[in-house]
Amino acid sequence: MLSGEFIAFIALALAAIMGGVLLLNLTKVVHMVVAIVFTFVSIAGIYVLLSAEFLAAVQILIYSGAITIIMLFGIMLTKHNDESEAKGIGWRKVFMFLGVLAFGAAVYIGIYDLDFASEPSELHVKNTEQIGLALYSDYIIPFELTSVVLLVALVGAIILARKDDGGKGEDKK
Amino acid sequence: MEIAWLIPLFPLLSFLVLLLAGRRLKEASAAAGILLTLASLALSVYVLIERLSGPTFKAEAVWLTIGDLQLTAGFEVNQLNALMLVIVSLVSFLVHIYSKGYMHGDERFPVYYAYLGLFTFSMLGLVLSPNLLQTYIFWELVGLGSFLLIGFYFYKESAKHAAMKAFIMTRIGDVGLLIGMILLFWETGSFEYDEIFAAVRGGELSGTMITLTAILIFVGAVGKSGQFPLHTWLPDAMEGPTPVSALIHAATMVAAGVYLVAATFPLFAASEAAMMTVAIIGAFTAIFAASIGLVQTDIKRVLAYSTVSQLGYMMLALGSAGYVAGVFHLMTHAFFKALLFLAAGSVIHAVHTQDIEKMGGLWKKLRFTGPLFLIGTLAISGVPLFSGFFSKDEILIAAWEHGNTTLFWLAVIAAFFTAFYMFRLFFMVFMGEARSHHKAVHESPGSMVWPMAVLGILAIFAGYVNTPWFGTFLGDWLVEGNSALGHGHVEGPAWIMIVATSVSLAGILLAYLIYGKRAISRDGLITSVPLTYNVLKNKYYIDELYHYTFVYGAKAVSLFLRFIELFLVEGIMKTVAALVQTLGKTGSKIQSGQVQTYGAIAFAGLAVLMLIFALTGGYL
Amino acid sequence: MSNIPVSAFLALALILFCIGLYGALTKRNTVIVLISIELMLNAVNINLVTFSKYGPAPSINGQVFALFAIAVAAAEAAVGLAILIALYRNRKTVNIDEMNQLKH
Repeated sequence: MLSGEFIAFIALALAAIMGGVLLLNLTKVVHMVVAIVFTFVSIAGIYVLLSAEFLAAVQILIYSGAITIIMLFGIMLTKHNDESEAKGIGWRKVFMFLGVLAFGAAVYIGIYDLDFASEPSELHVKNTEQIGLALYSDYIIPFELTSVVLLVALVGAIILARKDDGGKGEDKK
Repeated sequence: MEIAWLIPLFPLLSFLVLLLAGRRLKEASAAAGILLTLASLALSVYVLIERLSGPTFKAEAVWLTIGDLQLTAGFEVNQLNALMLVIVSLVSFLVHIYSKGYMHGDERFPVYYAYLGLFTFSMLGLVLSPNLLQTYIFWELVGLGSFLLIGFYFYKESAKHAAMKAFIMTRIGDVGLLIGMILLFWETGSFEYDEIFAAVRGGELSGTMITLTAILIFVGAVGKSGQFPLHTWLPDAMEGPTPVSALIHAATMVAAGVYLVAATFPLFAASEAAMMTVAIIGAFTAIFAASIGLVQTDIKRVLAYSTVSQLGYMMLALGSAGYVAGVFHLMTHAFFKALLFLAAGSVIHAVHTQDIEKMGGLWKKLRFTGPLFLIGTLAISGVPLFSGFFSKDEILIAAWEHGNTTLFWLAVIAAFFTAFYMFRLFFMVFMGEARSHHKAVHESPGSMVWPMAVLGILAIFAGYVNTPWFGTFLGDWLVEGNSALGHGHVEGPAWIMIVATSVSLAGILLAYLIYGKRAISRDGLITSVPLTYNVLKNKYYIDELYHYTFVYGAKAVSLFLRFIELFLVEGIMKTVAALVQTLGKTGSKIQSGQVQTYGAIAFAGLAVLMLIFALTGGYL
Repeated sequence: MSNIPVSAFLALALILFCIGLYGALTKRNTVIVLISIELMLNAVNINLVTFSKYGPAPSINGQVFALFAIAVAAAEAAVGLAILIALYRNRKTVNIDEMNQLKH
């Protein structure tokens, strides 16, 4: 029996996988980034199905918004060759494909009939409030540390990406 | 006698002083060497005189302690040692003086004296040693001294080769000595002569072991004393300066082999087989070397073969239980052979050649050298009243009394040869007409004549210390208090003396007829027996034989080993190296610096692990 | 309450993870490699959220974890891009094949 929830899952899952497959198969770098946005948005939908509305919103904001945009900036700032991918099937691609397949199969053996007899949860009730409570009570120290990590990342990114002043460092290589 | 240990130290001091200050002293080095050797000589004579009346003196100190084992070092003054001390220091002293004239003008004059000092030190140390280990150390040191002095003219290719040959040939003998020494130590637990002899007397060693060790020690003596078959180095050693030949290769070092056999005589005396070996080798060497000496034309080589032959006599005496005869001949030989070599050096000094074919008629020109050479020749030929006569007589009697009739007759023939070739030498050098023109032949300086004169007197009178007519003083003294050494004098039939005298005179007469009066044509003699002449002329082809067997053999073996080295050893090594290199290059290629490749490989490993985990039911 | 089996969510996460992994290990453009890594992180987040709802002990902790993961991923993306740009300035390329200074 197909419930509306299941149809929604199938549709979102297909969209997410399609985005991933496109990421692998498109040739232009910008197209790849656009394809990944599909996946990110679909994952946000999956989160909604899993009673994580706040995470869904964060997913859209951070991934579909911020990360995708800075990736596009990265592509813009670097000289990129549209036809950058090597022609033909390299030995490594075949090898990697088989490896990934083996890995997938191995994990799949572990998960295909996994089922926990769990009691229904109350996650969907006031989801954001629950997260807020958990974050500011149990996880207050990790939360504050996360802010430090973000600050460090910010400063580090600026220092790394800053153009060296003076010609000395310019021709290091 | 307590100060006997000082005797070797004077020449050592001379060596050290000349080593350090030789360059500055220049020709004054001779004075330093002569004075210090004189001190040695004076002490030696003092020790000998003291020993004549006193008992054997022995002093030792512990040198090394290894576990329970104690090795001692010290010195011993017994009759033989005291006698040897005087012989060595006297000849060394005279050679020191003689060299002052002979080596005059040589730019390495101080070095020469330093080497002489080193050699004299080693030789004196050798004769003072109370145990085999110490003997062996000095034994090798005299070998070194000999090597340095033979190769003194090292810029001459032949001298260089002769030095190496002497070193290697004697080394072959030394290996025998070393093995014998170790075997004796193994059996008796001591290197001391006394303890070894006590063990032999007490029957602690089996008969076979005694024979074996005695023969091994004799092998060492064979190498050092130039006995057949290790004799070939001695004639070549004549490349060294002539005074060195007189000191080392006539009077002292080559006699060390005889001395060693004499010093370990109780060991030999305990084994009939060992005695027989010594006697046979000695007798054979005596006649063998004498026959070669018949046709040689190099003055020093004739004397060298004569030395080999006389050393054979001494060995024959020792092997025939004639301890006194052997040591007696060792003494007289040291004097008259040193005299002959020094006289030969004087002749060479005068005419600048060693070829006797180019000499002749020197009697009138060399007023002193000629008569002195004649004295030496008469002594070695065994002409009555000269020292060689008495000592040779003793040897012949010892051989006869011991029952070795064959060896006795061999020795008699060798005596005939000796008389013949020595007078051949004398006539060719001093008599007749000069066969080539030498400018300004003049007598050698006094520093060369006086030592010869001293030796000349000794060559005449040294024999009178042990004669059947005036008493056998030396013999009695030598064996005093030690019954293992045999009797001081062995009474022999009177006809032996008559036979010995007549063969000597016959040899002299024959030499006179051929070379003096020319009644018999030399060339006719040579052409009548061309084969014999050539064999003798080429020294029985022993050198060639060694060259084609041992030298080529060694070369073939080394060539073979070289191929093994090249292909087997190096092949394995190169293969391994190539393998490792390939491995390293492959490994280095994997290190491509590509992060993705690294990640891929790490991930592949993870995938394989996961797959194994899953398929073996790890999730259950 | 739900008729969607938990394994379906996990399978989806697995597929996305595999795609991300394959991309990260084979793509030559460094930007795409970074994006592939983001995709792998997302797949992990799906797992966290799934267990948060259907796990043996459902709780909000899984979602909080996912939140932290997103924060760290954002920081990683920023630093990664900064490095990329610095590298590009020196080597004039974004091809991962040519970044091999670590070679022997």
